[in-house]
Amino acid sequence: MNENLFASFAAPSMMGLPIVVLIVMFPSILFPTPSRLINNRLISIQQWLIQLTSKQMLAIHNQKGRTWALMLMSLILFIGSTNLLGLLPHSFTPTTQLSMNLGMAIPLWAGTVITGLRYKTKASLAHFLPQGTPLPLIPMLVVIETISLFIQPMALAVRLTANITAGHLLIHLIGGATLALINISATTAFITFIILILLTILEFAVALIQAYVFTLLVSLYLHDNT
Amino acid sequence: SDGAPGPGHWDADAAAGGLVDLAVPGGAFSGRRAPCLKNPVLGPGVLQAIRIFHTRQPSLAPIPCVPEYGGKVCLGLIPKEFFQFLYPKTGVRGPYVLGTGLILYSLSKEIYVITAETFSAISTIGLLIYVVKKYGASIGEFADKLSEQKIAQLEEVKQASIQQIQDAIDTEKSQQALVQKRHYLFDVQRNNIAMALELTYRERLHRVYREVKNRLDYHISVQNMMRRKEQEHMINWVEKHVVQSISAQQEKETIAKCIAGLKLLAKKAPSQPVL
Repeated sequence: MNENLFASFAAPSMMGLPIVVLIVMFPSILFPTPSRLINNRLISIQQWLIQLTSKQMLAIHNQKGRTWALMLMSLILFIGSTNLLGLLPHSFTPTTQLSMNLGMAIPLWAGTVITGLRYKTKASLAHFLPQGTPLPLIPMLVVIETISLFIQPMALAVRLTANITAGHLLIHLIGGATLALINISATTAFITFIILILLTILEFAVALIQAYVFTLLVSLYLHDNT
Repeated sequence: SDGAPGPGHWDADAAAGGLVDLAVPGGAFSGRRAPCLKNPVLGPGVLQAIRIFHTRQPSLAPIPCVPEYGGKVCLGLIPKEFFQFLYPKTGVRGPYVLGTGLILYSLSKEIYVITAETFSAISTIGLLIYVVKKYGASIGEFADKLSEQKIAQLEEVKQASIQQIQDAIDTEKSQQALVQKRHYLFDVQRNNIAMALELTYRERLHRVYREVKNRLDYHISVQNMMRRKEQEHMINWVEKHVVQSISAQQEKETIAKCIAGLKLLAKKAPSQPVL
């Protein structure tokens, strides 16, 4: 039972070959390149969505921050599509792996911090001290701000991992509960199944929301530092 | 590399940006165009790679049309061609029986195990089917509306340009028509000027006439005055001489006669009534 519960999170390999690389590259097939002026419905909707999202997300940035537009848009598309594909039965979600999320979060966060330190050294160092703190509190507050700065990449990665993993685990557990209850009492099984449906709806929302949150936070860190 | 490429052949000139002669490996490629080919280890491999993978269509125009509807499917997954393929041997219900049999076989032999994941699959797939059935058409319409908006925008630009040009043509035509009617204006102006000239001429004529008449009148009045003066002079001269010629004796006699005559009249007068 324990082995089965977490088996879906193991990195998939077929006959010893790691196909996790193929799984990570798969969502990109679902976003075709627009090759004409008027495309099919899928491409039109995707174009419209990307326009909407990019306009909303890049509105707060200045010229320098907008050079990150491609990065942010591909980030939100990748995390969103990967999360949504993970909701299909028997599928593997790469974003449940902490290794991958750390690999996304740390370079992006480090990029924003280094950009800030390089171009606006004084302003980015000034972020360590909020405005209007009384004099005796300053040393402690600097330490606290430093800790909160260094926790940002960890928080980004762990937030995404924990949310998606928890959602998948809950779906698995409640599905198992439904399975177990069918032999005992059909009504309770039915109620549990309803809970499962509601949970699935939540998971769809969470999948998209987590993508959005990740990208939004990266863009906020960027905004602070450009 | 023959001259004009055939319909299905790869137009090397158009495609890879001018790589013309593939028969000479590395010979016709300059380092400027394909620097990767200068590498002795990877050059031949790159050559073969770009020969195999068509990165572009063989000809640039015309591109094939996007089909208006997708392929027909049954149950949202299986193309209708499969049903057509099985029809001669198994009839209409063949594929359905096949599907049911496969499902029951995999369930009974536990090839497909019913686990917790089955229920999550049922809930996820059920939810997806519900959403697609309910909102699929409206999302499709929305996508079509996006395309239509794009086309309408471009069409509007085209129409605006056409309208602009049409307006310019109309303006030009009306201006040409105006130019045709310009002669009326010139006629009126010509008439005006002729009248003004005529007026001035007549005015001057009148003035000349007046001046001449003035001078002639002067001469006439001078003549008249001279004649009058002469007449008066003559009368005065005659009166003077007549008065001079009357002597004192004659004057006395004349006065005495007048008195006698008046006395006679005075005697006759009171016998007549006063009127």
